[in-house]
Amino acid sequence: MKTEDMIAQLTEHLAPVRRLPSPATLTLLWLGIALLVVVSAVAVMGLRPDLDARMAAGLDLRQMATAGLTGVLAALAAFQLSFPDRDRRWALLPLPALVLWLGNLGWGCLQDFAAHGPDGVRLTTSFPCLAFVLGFGLPLSLAMAWLARHAAPIRPGPVAVLGGLAAACITNIGLTLTHHLDAAAMVLAWHGLAMLVTTGAAGLLGPKVMRIAV
Amino acid sequence: MTAEAGESRSDRDMRWSALMAAAQNGDARAYDRLLRECLPLLRSICRARLRDATDTEDAVQDALLTLHRVRATYDPARPFTPWISAIAERRALDRGRARGRRTGREIDIEHAGPIIDPSTPPAERGLERAELRAALRDLPASQAKALQLAKIEELSLAEASARSGLSVGALKVATHRALATLRKRLGAR
Repeated sequence: MKTEDMIAQLTEHLAPVRRLPSPATLTLLWLGIALLVVVSAVAVMGLRPDLDARMAAGLDLRQMATAGLTGVLAALAAFQLSFPDRDRRWALLPLPALVLWLGNLGWGCLQDFAAHGPDGVRLTTSFPCLAFVLGFGLPLSLAMAWLARHAAPIRPGPVAVLGGLAAACITNIGLTLTHHLDAAAMVLAWHGLAMLVTTGAAGLLGPKVMRIAV
Repeated sequence: MTAEAGESRSDRDMRWSALMAAAQNGDARAYDRLLRECLPLLRSICRARLRDATDTEDAVQDALLTLHRVRATYDPARPFTPWISAIAERRALDRGRARGRRTGREIDIEHAGPIIDPSTPPAERGLERAELRAALRDLPASQAKALQLAKIEELSLAEASARSGLSVGALKVATHRALATLRKRLGAR
């Protein structure tokens, strides 16, 4: 087919389209959905009994703040990248907050080691962490893939991965509020693993959702 | 809003932006004019990445289809040229990658030898054809059908799938196996 003929075909039955909201608006919309899901999960599971003491100690508060910041920035980066004309360096936006999250937990591990020796950084299994973040995070990642489905022909992979990271981080806050994990090493290992698995799964499944939905 | 000779890039961008905003509202004439005016830009972007003229035109058409699908993502408050250029760059890159994957498997038709060497005596040529027919006859029905549709009639996979009732995956496998069988039987000499 000649290109000029294709243009004639494209324009022949042109339907009006509603312009998409800005990336910031889409981010707020998705964050609203994510917070609703996480708050509902926390309401059903109940806050951990020693939450006040944990917050006073500071580590969990910093952990939640840095995870939340990473989540918000990852969501904004994902929606920015879903538009064709946005700079691909938006993908780097959540990295400083992610480094802060890792640094905070790494520092916590060192403090635990100084206080309790090798016992302070001993790892045991905690599959509920994985189940919580994956169980709530993956559907939220796919919700973002649906909201950013216009990215399907542009850069579905990076958008899906950032969506997975955002969902895992926001879900991580809910996990910290409900689940009993004290040692920073355990939080780093299990929350970190859960975030990696969720981000990876979102990176695999998100582009498929976008292609189906678009 | 007519194209003006010598207008500056920013003026042109503002005009295209206004045409795209009108197209988003369903103005087919504005859309037609915009796409036709943008063709030289699309072609220059795709040509810079793809030397082959056919690949360039294919990438331009891919870019037009993508632009059409994602036309709701354009924000008239932002410049238009980076938006359309990013789409064209992406499609040209995809075409370039696809070309790279194909290059290893293809022989340029200009440099490929004849399927049946014309210097071969007519009696032997007849023998080669008969051998090819016999080899095709011995293929399983699904493989012969897949080969017929995909390679001889040169249908797209989707068309061949619709015609044969086989899934796209099954067609790919059947074609691959048919070629492997023929290669083994005829190509070993």
